[in-house]
Amino acid sequence: MVISTRELKANIIATLRMEEIEPDQIDDEAPLFGEGLGLDSIDALELVAMLEKDYAIIVKDMEEGRPAFQSVRTLAEFIERKKAS
Amino acid sequence: MASRSPVVTGLGIVAAPGHGVEAVWTALAGGAGGLKPLGLFPSPRHGPVPVGEIQEDLNDPALHLRGSRSDRLAWLAVRQAIASASLSLSDHRDRAGMLLGSSVGGSYDSERFLEILLKRRCMRALPTRYHECNSAVSLIAANLGLLGPCMTIATACSSGALALATAAEMIQSGEADIMLAGGADSLSRMTWGGFHALLLVDAEGCRPFDAQRNGMSLGEGGAVLVLEAEETARARGANILARLGGWGASCDAHHATAPHREGRGALAAMRSALARAGLEPGAMDYLNAHGTGTRDNDLAEARALRSLFGERVPPFSSTKHFFGHALAASGALEAVICIEALRRQLLPPNLGFTSMDPAIGLEPVTAMRSASLTHVMSNSFGFGGNNAVLIFSHPDAAVAPREAPHMPVAVRGVGVIGPGTRGLKEIEPPLPAGEVASVDCGPLAGAGELTMNQRRRLSRLMQMVVLAARRSVTADATGGDPRLAVAIGTGMGCLGDAGIFLENLIEKEEREPMPSRFPASVHNAPAAQLAIDRGAQGLNAAPTTADISFECALWLAMRQLVTGEADQALAGAVDELNKYLLSIGQRWGFWNETTQPGEGAVVAALGRVSEKDAPCLARVSAVRLGRFERPFDAAREARWMASATDLGEGGVLYTGAGGWPELDPCYAAVADMLGRKSGSSWEHRTYKSMCGEYHSASSFGFAQAVECVRAERRRAMLYTLSPRGFKALCCLQP
Repeated sequence: MVISTRELKANIIATLRMEEIEPDQIDDEAPLFGEGLGLDSIDALELVAMLEKDYAIIVKDMEEGRPAFQSVRTLAEFIERKKAS
Repeated sequence: MASRSPVVTGLGIVAAPGHGVEAVWTALAGGAGGLKPLGLFPSPRHGPVPVGEIQEDLNDPALHLRGSRSDRLAWLAVRQAIASASLSLSDHRDRAGMLLGSSVGGSYDSERFLEILLKRRCMRALPTRYHECNSAVSLIAANLGLLGPCMTIATACSSGALALATAAEMIQSGEADIMLAGGADSLSRMTWGGFHALLLVDAEGCRPFDAQRNGMSLGEGGAVLVLEAEETARARGANILARLGGWGASCDAHHATAPHREGRGALAAMRSALARAGLEPGAMDYLNAHGTGTRDNDLAEARALRSLFGERVPPFSSTKHFFGHALAASGALEAVICIEALRRQLLPPNLGFTSMDPAIGLEPVTAMRSASLTHVMSNSFGFGGNNAVLIFSHPDAAVAPREAPHMPVAVRGVGVIGPGTRGLKEIEPPLPAGEVASVDCGPLAGAGELTMNQRRRLSRLMQMVVLAARRSVTADATGGDPRLAVAIGTGMGCLGDAGIFLENLIEKEEREPMPSRFPASVHNAPAAQLAIDRGAQGLNAAPTTADISFECALWLAMRQLVTGEADQALAGAVDELNKYLLSIGQRWGFWNETTQPGEGAVVAALGRVSEKDAPCLARVSAVRLGRFERPFDAAREARWMASATDLGEGGVLYTGAGGWPELDPCYAAVADMLGRKSGSSWEHRTYKSMCGEYHSASSFGFAQAVECVRAERRRAMLYTLSPRGFKALCCLQP
């Protein structure tokens, strides 16, 4: 299964209430946290909830989620991997 | 020895490991923790994860308890504390008050209301009767006939410790001779779902400071101390159990939930408590850590301990595995442990610890053992980076907290987010549909000043406070201030966010949690977000005491300035209209035909009068808190006012008349009595026709009073009564 990064970006924007940003403004490789979009640990948890709601993937531990939340690309790969297994 | 030094003369405790000091200590000595699988309510998603749940049936009529589950826990602890202090309150009721910490108030009971509403589509409003965090203080102070200062503090997990610190401050400053103080919180779906949404719960039970620790365990309980001025305790021949000689508070001003990595605020609060007690770090013989068992908290706390104590960290332990994390009760439960440790000269063990974490590099006390204890410290940290630290000492120890006399403070500026439009607010389904005429703030003008992250993450209530604060200070007062204190009162707090979070939790059976809604639902979220916006690292408090919430905030801020703990302070209050409040409020008669629901935020910037060049719109010469009884005695109220200020010059009396109809005759009688007693003219003015009726509306009255003093150069008094029996007086002069 291949995940549309554009759709993923739209989901991120809706989840985090960042309507002021267009999906195309988010670089696939740019860091989501810290200097990138300026997201924080609570946003990461919102993304965990999004994974469950939109992709039926349950993350029980942030240690597991952390490598996946580096960028849009790593998150898309994480979803593809989980969906494949 | 300073005769107003706060001393402890009574203890009451009810928690999962046992009821009463002896039972709790026996369990602790035996290493028998209170964690058991959750049984209070079903959890479809998480199952029976271990919690510190009280097994006894608190609805048993033989216990003669009423109120919410939290209120019942508070009552049990209060009854024990009074008995153990051999205290006859009727001899002291004029000078005795009550101060509890609460984080969820009656949430457990209100959740039943919401569940019935969502599943059966019918309104059963009764369980929400005791929803407010001030419910326990309101019920118990009335039962005991206390007339001294009463307050509830809601700063999440540091509430209990901050309540004890504030009660000590009230005794030290002469506000009261005796305070019943501590905290109570029951388990609730709200906090259960919330901490799970934040992935902070260890499904195997918490393991504070352990290498394998993986989160916290929730708990519940109540603990109350009888605190007295030493002279009062000596005069009545009371047995002094310990001294409360040091207390300090701070704010990380960093993040809504995560602690500052290096434990910056924790360190500041510990230093502040030591300075208040006049003690060096090396004098601490034991430390009861906050130690929740989450990876970040324990690491940050350990770093703060290293920064303060260097290589000589005193023996320390967390009792969170023993009690569970009882949130607002925690600081008070742990205070009881500290006092018993001093009395018995024994170190309490850190249950749940087996292996040292190399990143922490510190090993807590693992088994109860003898030690020579003179001074012990207790840490409590909460959401919003809200920190409170207490130091208890042996009765024979020479410790006298620094004294600070009353002095006026200057109002430098007032920011108001007030009624913009006289709009119609609709109550949305599934709550009963209908329209209520309201005095609301409309769309928030100025929201464009906020950053994108503030706009998307701060609820409307929080934005109101941040914007009001920005309007209260002059441009040169910049952020990043370690000496800036913040106190924001609220009656209902973030009820809107809490309601949405719970609706989602119940409807979806704990699936699709809303992690950012939970930290936004705590009562201290507005104060914490304001601290982050201004970089304010001083005290950060959220009093929630119904109609006098603003005056409580003002009192707290004033004391920080007077004691030199802060150089500047922001004191204010906020409440908002939302569908839950509108529907429940109608049921409970918060509003009638002549009053309309309102909302607003007011923040006053305060400083010391001695700073000559700073602007001063008005001086606050006194803030007094108390309770009144029925039948209402206006002459008694006039005497109370005369003890706070010189009534002879006359001036303007601002009251909350035009709100609760039953209070209007009381206000009128006091206005009349003032003229007769003082022999001068006191003009009676009201403000609720402008701002509408809401819990913290007196903050709007304060803004009016400040403007009166500035523009008319007259004295003003703000006098507020609450249907819950609380009262407050604030005296202003040019």
